Amino acid sequence: MQTISRQIYVWTRNLHLYFGLAISPFVLLFSISLIFLNHTWIPLGGPDRVRQFTAAVSIPPGLEHLEGMARVEKVKEVMRQIGVTGEVSFVRLNDGGLIVPVQKPSQEITLHIFPQNNTVTVERRNTGIWDAMMYLHKSPGPHLANIRGNWVYTRIWRWAADATVYLLLFISATGIYLWLILKAERKIGLVILGAGVISFMGVVYVLCA
Amino acid sequence: MSSVPEIGGQALHPPKPVELQWQSFAHAIDLWNGKLHYYLGLYLLLFIWLFAFSGLMLNHHWTFDDFWSKRKVSTTERAVHPPAHGSDLEKAKDLMRQLHIAGELELGEAPPAAGRLDFQVTTPRLMYALHADLVKGVVTVQRTEVNVWGIIHILHTYSGVRRDNPHMQRTWTGIRIWSFCMDAIALGLIFVVLSSYVMWWGLKQHRFWGLVALFGGYLACGFFVVGLARLYP
Repeated sequence: MQTISRQIYVWTRNLHLYFGLAISPFVLLFSISLIFLNHTWIPLGGPDRVRQFTAAVSIPPGLEHLEGMARVEKVKEVMRQIGVTGEVSFVRLNDGGLIVPVQKPSQEITLHIFPQNNTVTVERRNTGIWDAMMYLHKSPGPHLANIRGNWVYTRIWRWAADATVYLLLFISATGIYLWLILKAERKIGLVILGAGVISFMGVVYVLCA
Repeated sequence: MSSVPEIGGQALHPPKPVELQWQSFAHAIDLWNGKLHYYLGLYLLLFIWLFAFSGLMLNHHWTFDDFWSKRKVSTTERAVHPPAHGSDLEKAKDLMRQLHIAGELELGEAPPAAGRLDFQVTTPRLMYALHADLVKGVVTVQRTEVNVWGIIHILHTYSGVRRDNPHMQRTWTGIRIWSFCMDAIALGLIFVVLSSYVMWWGLKQHRFWGLVALFGGYLACGFFVVGLARLYP
């Protein structure tokens, strides 16, 4: 029986260690970007200059009349012609043309598509590593769910972010088990856990009362 | 005969006082690094669970947490004493006092029409849209209340500031406290991660596979943060 308990302990400790190390860069990414999102006065190095070019393209007919993912798929056809990749944020009609912001980590691109004369103007701006972290923190996010994940790397990132969260929950659960094993730390740990619960409940109560 | 003990013919010299001090200091650092690792983890446990779970909710559109369709909305008209002086922000705060409404105040981005003032007040549970007619002294208050899923959802993003609007400032003590909590969670997690590196490095038999796990993590994360921009310039 003791052998089984010992094995459970060793496996739990090892999984806690290795999963923790594996997701630690993601946890750092979410934590550092949280500080930037919470303090907008922190400078991020400033925006890069906007590079712009116009290209002739073949625009799929009826693009402006489509909706949702069908429209995004057609916009992607235009993007492939000009070598632009990324997550289409949304598509907005504007004076007979379309404005399409495209995002990926550390880059913002805006497409101005003109179906009347089969041209597209591309504005591209590098936003830097800190902005990339904030973008990833918020990606894919709750907005425009019907078109979100239209870039393969957004879908992979969603999977990675989910995996980070599930493993974080696993690590916190195994952390509690590993703490309970340490008999000498039980009392003080319980006091700290209680203080955390009271702080959490107190803050949420103040915010919601 | 020498008083220094010997092993295998080599004399064992007792550690010098400086070495002893250093060993004792390193031991204390190791000890407290480990203690703080799980003390912080325990203290932040519920906060971490909240942000982890709400992060999943934001990235997925599960049906059980669809709080918006279940919100309760009511609209009332309330008589007020129109504030005579002050900025729009001061007038809005005055009206909130008269109406006994507390929360984070957000003015509309466009300047209000003459004699009117429109603004919003939010808490994680309640959202008020207020439309004030300062000439007649009447405020239309639309009150929206969300359920517990809505509160969890909103707490994840409830910072009171936005990078795309540098003029936004926190006006309510409640949101300042929550903003402080967010910072504490971020800094606490950074400490927990860094302290775990120190603890892992002390376990010599786990160094190699730990390095593999850590390298894999940084490779995967780095691919998204910097790699994608290089791969698809």
